[in-house]
Amino acid sequence: MKPLRIALTKGRLEKDTVALLDRIGYDCEAVRNKGRRLILPVGDRLEVVLAKAADVITYVEHGVCDMGVVGKDTIMEHGTSFYEVLDLGFGRCRFALAAPKGSDFWSGYSSRTIATKYPAVARAFFESRGMDVDIIKIEGSVELAPLLGLSDAIVDIVETGTTLRENGLEIVEEVCPISARLIVNVASMKLRKNEIESLIAQMEREKGGTARD
Amino acid sequence: MFIWAANGESMRTYNKVTPEGTKDLLFEECLIHRAVERKLTAVFAARGFHEVVTPGMEFMDVFDPEVSGIAPEIMYKMSDRRGRLIVMRPDSTMPIARLAATRLQKEEKPLRLYYTQRIYRNHPNLTGRSDEVLQAGVELLGAGGKRADLEAICTAVESLLSCTPDFRLELGHAGFFRAIADGLPITADQREEIRSLIESKNYAALESLLDGLERTPAVEAMRRLPRLFGGEEVFAQAAPLCGSEEAAAMLEYLHSLYKSLSALGLGNRLMVDLGLVQRNDYYTGVVFSAYAQDCGDAILLGGRYDNLLGRFDLPMPAIGFSVNVDAVVKLLAEQGYAPECSRPEVLVYGCPGHEVKALLYASGVTSQGGSCETSVFETEEESIEYARRRGIPNVAIVGQSVKEYSLADNTEIGGDQA
Repeated sequence: MKPLRIALTKGRLEKDTVALLDRIGYDCEAVRNKGRRLILPVGDRLEVVLAKAADVITYVEHGVCDMGVVGKDTIMEHGTSFYEVLDLGFGRCRFALAAPKGSDFWSGYSSRTIATKYPAVARAFFESRGMDVDIIKIEGSVELAPLLGLSDAIVDIVETGTTLRENGLEIVEEVCPISARLIVNVASMKLRKNEIESLIAQMEREKGGTARD
Repeated sequence: MFIWAANGESMRTYNKVTPEGTKDLLFEECLIHRAVERKLTAVFAARGFHEVVTPGMEFMDVFDPEVSGIAPEIMYKMSDRRGRLIVMRPDSTMPIARLAATRLQKEEKPLRLYYTQRIYRNHPNLTGRSDEVLQAGVELLGAGGKRADLEAICTAVESLLSCTPDFRLELGHAGFFRAIADGLPITADQREEIRSLIESKNYAALESLLDGLERTPAVEAMRRLPRLFGGEEVFAQAAPLCGSEEAAAMLEYLHSLYKSLSALGLGNRLMVDLGLVQRNDYYTGVVFSAYAQDCGDAILLGGRYDNLLGRFDLPMPAIGFSVNVDAVVKLLAEQGYAPECSRPEVLVYGCPGHEVKALLYASGVTSQGGSCETSVFETEEESIEYARRRGIPNVAIVGQSVKEYSLADNTEIGGDQA
């Protein structure tokens, strides 16, 4: 049987996942000393693939990776069809709507301009409010857009809120909480049920805390 | 004022590429597609199904999203001269239901129909999904009950087996979720949320949502629903969770189907998933799908849809399935199935003045079941060179007399006197 292939979002989620895999008895030495390699064996039952967040979803959806670890933020922005089986509890932050301090975002009737790295999330949020907004996609530091007068507010990931404060922005409303999720390809879940369910169960036991949506 | 369009799209012509999500099929790809089509349809025809073809475009009304579960935004839309909305066929079952309810109204039931045709869906760009998918499928209309369910499922299995031995078949019941949800004190919105969480097997979010409800047997059943998939043991796990007679009857029925299919020798291929809960779709009873290793999506989908024909004013029970031919082709190609393009056995060259005679000679070869190419080159030398380059083993030089010989060793192998 081929090893199960799990795609990890490079960076912090990768480190947290590797730590979790270590705790449940997988030897992740190869991942820690990966050099420039992107596909790494972990024991003989698991293979780790390192990818950018949105690509984790793409690989899992197409079934070239059986499972993946990715932030809820990426799922909300790019999500399509796969199983989202576990909230891993780490990588915690939230989506928030933020505007320059003191501005009254909800007042008046002129239409608002929103800058964001997550246009789909922003669109869904304002649609749920029945509100028409202009959305501008920004690739880098979104906080700049209202400071430069391009937008009235931003929709972005907020962890501690320090960046917002230092740039004179404040949270208008929290959109939703975010954390890392374990996702599984639909066909893999059916064809390799036992291996995948036992890994899910081990991860669930070891993840610590009882993090939930 | 001159406005610079950064993407320059207004200036670009797209005459050398195909739209995203579509592609040309060449030679071996066509052969393998045709081979898969032939294998599948041979089984359909042998089991007494008859082919129909529905138009590539239909009125959008045929695919009412409320009934079809197909979101309007993924249909390719146009309008006809009278401004009515037309879509490129996004699904074959709805048009066949339309056809059965209108033109086949008076025919003897059940109707046993099959099709091989493409469907079109506008997927988001750059996800690697095809917007054009070839499907081969069967609809058995005007028959309910276990015999009809088994007939459809067996035809599905037999047709897939004619292409590949490596797949698993999964059974579910479209009514099971509904029966359990009816026992919950929830709003329509909550019900949809629960359904979508079960569909994505989002255990954690489902639990926290259900934690907000009073702990009744129905709530506990719902909690377990996404995990109720696997082998025959699932039936025993699910039995104590059926809060209503309706759910228990569905479970028992599904188990009896499972046992019948096992008895047909499908035992190790069979799986059950009671958490199969698609949105808004037309399925009402048993649903089934097939999965294969290294194929991220189901390669076959089907189920019973007893209410659909009523939408076309001719209520009758029905069941059907469709095979994703493109996915099966990909699977076979990965398994090394590679039909070769055949080369003609002989190149026929007509010497100047004997062109018509050469064509007659070529017709003679093909009418006897042989294969040949007629040379379009002016000279015998060019023709022979061409035959060598193309690997055509023999040439026939048609002049006063006909000389046919093998290029490999120059031995004369046939020909006739003029």
